[in-house]
Amino acid sequence: MFAYTVRRVLAAIPTLWVALTMIFILVRVIPGDPSAAIMGDYISEEGVQTLKHQMGLDRPLIEQYVEYLYGFCRGDFGKSLITGCSVIEEIKSALPHTLELTLLGLLVGIVTGIPLGVFLALKRNSIVDYLGRFFSLAGLSFPVFYTAVLLILLFSIKCDLLPVMGVGEEGNFASRIQHLILPSLTLGLLMMSYMTRITRSSILDVLNADYIRTAHAKGLKLKKVIFKHALKNASISLITVVGLYASILIGSSVMTEIVFSRPGLGSLIVGAMFNRDYILITSVMTIYAAIVIIINLITDLSYGLIDPRIRYE
Amino acid sequence: MKKARLVAIFALFSIIVLGFNSQAFCEKIINVGIKSADMGILDPHLSATTANLPIMDSIFNGLVRFKPGTVDLEQIEPDLAVRWTSSPDKKEWIFYLRKGVHFHHGFGEMTAEDVVFSLKKASAKETSRWWSNYKAFDQVVAVDRYTVKITLKYNVPSMLGLVLNFHGGMVLSKKAYEQYGDDFKLKPVGTGPFAFEEYIPKQKTVLKANDQYWRGRPKIDKIVYHFVPVSNSREMAFLKGELDVIEGIKAEWWAEKMRAKKDVIFDALGPGECTVVHFNMTRKPLDKLKVRQAMAYALNRKDFRLTYGMSITEDAVSPVPPGYLGFTSDVEKYKFNLKKAKALMKEAGYPDGFDLGKFVTSKIYLNTAELLQANLGKIGIKLEIQMVDHPTMHKMIREDVNPIVPYGCCRFPIADQYLTQFYHSESIVGKSTGITNFSHYGEVIPGVDDLIDAARVEPNLEKQKALWVKAQKKIMKDVPAYPLRVTYVVLARKKYVDLGYDLKSNITLHYQITEKTDLKR
Repeated sequence: MFAYTVRRVLAAIPTLWVALTMIFILVRVIPGDPSAAIMGDYISEEGVQTLKHQMGLDRPLIEQYVEYLYGFCRGDFGKSLITGCSVIEEIKSALPHTLELTLLGLLVGIVTGIPLGVFLALKRNSIVDYLGRFFSLAGLSFPVFYTAVLLILLFSIKCDLLPVMGVGEEGNFASRIQHLILPSLTLGLLMMSYMTRITRSSILDVLNADYIRTAHAKGLKLKKVIFKHALKNASISLITVVGLYASILIGSSVMTEIVFSRPGLGSLIVGAMFNRDYILITSVMTIYAAIVIIINLITDLSYGLIDPRIRYE
Repeated sequence: MKKARLVAIFALFSIIVLGFNSQAFCEKIINVGIKSADMGILDPHLSATTANLPIMDSIFNGLVRFKPGTVDLEQIEPDLAVRWTSSPDKKEWIFYLRKGVHFHHGFGEMTAEDVVFSLKKASAKETSRWWSNYKAFDQVVAVDRYTVKITLKYNVPSMLGLVLNFHGGMVLSKKAYEQYGDDFKLKPVGTGPFAFEEYIPKQKTVLKANDQYWRGRPKIDKIVYHFVPVSNSREMAFLKGELDVIEGIKAEWWAEKMRAKKDVIFDALGPGECTVVHFNMTRKPLDKLKVRQAMAYALNRKDFRLTYGMSITEDAVSPVPPGYLGFTSDVEKYKFNLKKAKALMKEAGYPDGFDLGKFVTSKIYLNTAELLQANLGKIGIKLEIQMVDHPTMHKMIREDVNPIVPYGCCRFPIADQYLTQFYHSESIVGKSTGITNFSHYGEVIPGVDDLIDAARVEPNLEKQKALWVKAQKKIMKDVPAYPLRVTYVVLARKKYVDLGYDLKSNITLHYQITEKTDLKR
């Protein structure tokens, strides 16, 4: 297991390098440059060239790449082309907000989606099941920004219960939680919809299995049959889905952060894209890639912990 | 036991939901919604973004300033300078500074040394984005502790425009700049009514009242600028009461919605963004005057205004927008006349029109592009719209790929800015000095370079204005471009926000929060 983990971690390094290289090239291929964002749209061509020279963007691409890669390996991502601030500091301040939002959204989705999926599986083909399937499909179909606006209208504007924007006051726990409820609910509802549907079908798959019939025949209570036998066996597919959708959830967090004006990686990357802040885009995208790689790694490793039949050689 | 647990959960939920507002109730705090994901930097000489203009405006002063609520260069009033004199040829200026003005955070009294330092910094390529505006500066010297002398190599369109409270004209603390170095951009020190207190990236910037402000202590204790890029989120936060003033959505429905609210004041203010369609005269048959005139007659300004709303726009009739120093409306207007347009097309040899091919534009200009396509289609001119993202569009139009370029912008309110950037031959795209002359005016056909150049160095204001008027008349006669619409900045504030001045325009394109601004809840 340990050797396998080390191997996987080592294999992740070239994956990350390929991702970084592709991102580095792609962001420079798209037309536009940061000069307009820095100087305004009335900068002359001469001014653009002067600025490019000052920022080192007129050097050969390979030279810029090697310099960036060297800095990246040492944990120095460089400075934002627009603000001149350290990119690593910007990421350090944004990453916790994205992680807390995504993890809480994931938690809300799992905690509500799995029991709901089990419940719908047990009520198969009943009116409750149809309604549940309909609403989970609706949850999947709604874009997150739409869900977010609906939640704001309901809980903030109509009921005046929760704040619309920001992350709350530093050091004020209640304020921080207040500001986290609606954004995490937005992501949580999306995750819940995924989880409900997958749990329902996974449970239905195992409900007709012999060992479930045996468990019933032994006289075990339904709760025990479901949570000890059925759910345990369905968990491999559930973990796969959690891993897969956790990555999707991180993508969805971009829009959620923008609607709720939360200072996460999403806000950072959107601003950087618009300003063509190459250094910031490359760094944030690489961080996103690293998060996805880590999630996949954790997903793969967790299979062995849950199913003893799976062994890592 | 179960009951106790339920009570505990309910109590915790109540604490979280109801929270406790730690905001000190005794403080007057104004929450401002800024349409941006972040602030950028607060060195006024280095920053070129619009989002932080209102922030810097509250922190810094210039030697002179626009009267609050106006952008009229003819109504400039003293700021850090109590008075000024100029030589008859306007090449030598002496500014007499106000005594006893102190910089924030204990950086001492503002003196001529700080003014000289600031203007020299604004003129240097390495420390200023606005250095080219100060090319005419020959010498800036401190005559004594409270007197500054500026000598020009040649005249400029508006000398006072270079030393007012905007961009390069802002006065910085020399001592603070030397102490903070590169960090100054996020630790700004000025003499304005509010001092910088805190910046939380991607969230907010907090300014606190300058107790020693020489015009009197501000009535508001703190300004909190929140960065909320999404219009709907800003509006919802405003309606909920989390924001007191916001930048709105440029649309009639939004204006009506805000006007209908009893506790809200809606404001549409200048300087407006002027949208003009530029005809690339290097593309045949746009080099023919009659074709361009036909296109002008075929474009219905009302249609273009309706895309935003009649109450927040006005007709753009001249290459220079109304309200700018030097503007004239006494030009050929080409009032919408389809019959005349068709007749001109026939005279030009294109009775059935022609195909202009593709032109790139971005989402921001989509409505305008579709209207151009529809309006010009009526006289047989075919256009194909190609959508790209906004920065890509800026890059491509500067590579001269478009036969026509719809372009909207707002500039410093003086005719020279629009005339130079859009109609001077030096500004033709593709040239090393190129800016935004998309029509190649002054290259394909003779332009107005001589008039613009002469006006720039003319010391007599009336003569200068006459030259600008002449240039505008000639441009409208030649039609290298056709002005469509002026769109105003739309803002909304709660009724209890008393600005303390009459609002018509603001160079920061937002509400200016001064020492007189108050919250009368």
